[in-house]
Amino acid sequence: MNNRTLLVTGALVRDTFREAFARKIFWGFLGCSTALILFFVFILKIDVVQGAMATVSLFGNTRQGGDVQRLVRQTHGAIAAFLYTAGMFLAIFASAGLIPSVFEPGRIELLLSKPVARHHILLGRYIGNVLVIAANVFYLVLAVWLIFGWKTGVWTAGFLWSSVLTVFVFAILLTVVMLVAVLWESAVVATMITFGIMLISPILAQQRVLERLLTSEWSRNLVRVLYYALPKVFDLGRISRGLVLGDPVGDWMPFWSSALFGLAMLSTGLYAFARRNY
Amino acid sequence: MSCAIETEGLIKIFRSRWSGKEVRAVDGISLRVERGATFGLLGPNGAGKTTFVKLLLSCAHPTGGRATIFGRDARDAEARRPIGYLPENHRFPTYMTGYSMLDFYGALSGMDAVSRQRRIPELLKTVGLDDWGHSRLGKYSKGMLQRVGLAQALMHEPSLLVLDEPTDGVDPIGRRHIRDILHVLEQQGVTIFLNSHLLGEVELFCRDVAIIHRGKVALEGKVKDLTAGSGYRIEAERIPERLEQELRAKAMAVAQRNGNVEFLFGSREEANQAVDLLRAEHCEIEAMARTNSTLEDVFVRTVNEQ
Repeated sequence: MNNRTLLVTGALVRDTFREAFARKIFWGFLGCSTALILFFVFILKIDVVQGAMATVSLFGNTRQGGDVQRLVRQTHGAIAAFLYTAGMFLAIFASAGLIPSVFEPGRIELLLSKPVARHHILLGRYIGNVLVIAANVFYLVLAVWLIFGWKTGVWTAGFLWSSVLTVFVFAILLTVVMLVAVLWESAVVATMITFGIMLISPILAQQRVLERLLTSEWSRNLVRVLYYALPKVFDLGRISRGLVLGDPVGDWMPFWSSALFGLAMLSTGLYAFARRNY
Repeated sequence: MSCAIETEGLIKIFRSRWSGKEVRAVDGISLRVERGATFGLLGPNGAGKTTFVKLLLSCAHPTGGRATIFGRDARDAEARRPIGYLPENHRFPTYMTGYSMLDFYGALSGMDAVSRQRRIPELLKTVGLDDWGHSRLGKYSKGMLQRVGLAQALMHEPSLLVLDEPTDGVDPIGRRHIRDILHVLEQQGVTIFLNSHLLGEVELFCRDVAIIHRGKVALEGKVKDLTAGSGYRIEAERIPERLEQELRAKAMAVAQRNGNVEFLFGSREEANQAVDLLRAEHCEIEAMARTNSTLEDVFVRTVNEQ
């Protein structure tokens, strides 16, 4: 990557952050994350004052050392699950407009008139959007991890890995937003389709049960194809929970098949953008 | 040395996805804009002017033909490096300030941070917005947006400036100011390609013009030739080269019209002599009339004749 590529990518990423700031997306997430962090700081502070060396009190309940580890993992798990579900919906909903806004008439022509390849413009915007969400997720997770670790002495890396997985799933879902935005230039359609993929995921995750219930071969094949083709948001959620609780990852298929889906969406989006007339 | 802009048989056909209906927005345009020229592109609404500009900037892909910018294929991203562009109906992000907007587009043009920091205050001063650099674009008036848009186009010191209705929404003093800036750039050797409805403005500023209508070049020539006062206009086709040279020498002005050659003669006698010569060579005379003198008249006549 040469200097000019970095210069242009940096400008596109900064512009995405600027737009996220202006739309209050960034500040909204940051405010919620900060409130949650302060909530934990406050609770743990009271407990430390009341607690002894071997015990820690959280939410008013005093626990022994062994229980503390479990409690920390469970609290981490709850935050990770919240980030993965509600946080993901919010992230998609709030940032879905950041990519389609680039295609507004009068704005896209100016971008395309610059000596920058089309794929670079779109990728720069995409990376910027992922970084806006990643910054907020890592801010919250890292702060909570530090607070809990400092107060309880329990340092589990699983929670940090789960945040990486959350950002990874967001990045995959954002490729759908990007492709739909290129094809239809609509944030609403992009959001609806992405939410559709998220919502169908828990159903498809029951693929084996569904196959037993379905009578025709073609419908079983359809479920199979959909399961393997679409990103496995639900399965990856289970992996994320397992990471937090310290369980080993049994099957990496949901990870790499979702990554392949993301790559396919990204490539199609870039190809469609390169061919479009503005 | 290559031209600033050169197109050969450029075609753009838009096809409806559902009905399959075709619209030939640009229909075989061949045009040359020399380096350092001030060139005006004129045409009625829907003539294909903006599509033509978009083909030059690779915002749209040609169906046929080719376009080059300083000898480089217009589809190559590097061909756009020497271009400064101000689009019609631009929509600059309102969350940006004048300063951050110039900084952003400067970076996309490949300028490093130091050059941008040096250039931005200079340009804001040039366009008379030095007090507004840190205000959000959402607070700018239409005229101010045009001026900051022009600053954006000038950010990386382009050698070709493509301006689509640059004075749209600008008050007369602002228009004069923009014209003065463009005159300075012209003196510096910058090629200026102006796409405008304002014929008076084009007449004041441009040396060369082309009128496009229904996607084709209907008239092309030097403004001073096309508006060379009253006289007699003769449009003819299939003229032998020797005769064409002879008539060119006698005519006040010469232009290309719909593939024919149009001569402007100062007196009735000269026009009659030309007709005799043309008929003697069995050339087809397409039209003959007394001329008007403003670009607007030329424009209206050209469009109505199509």
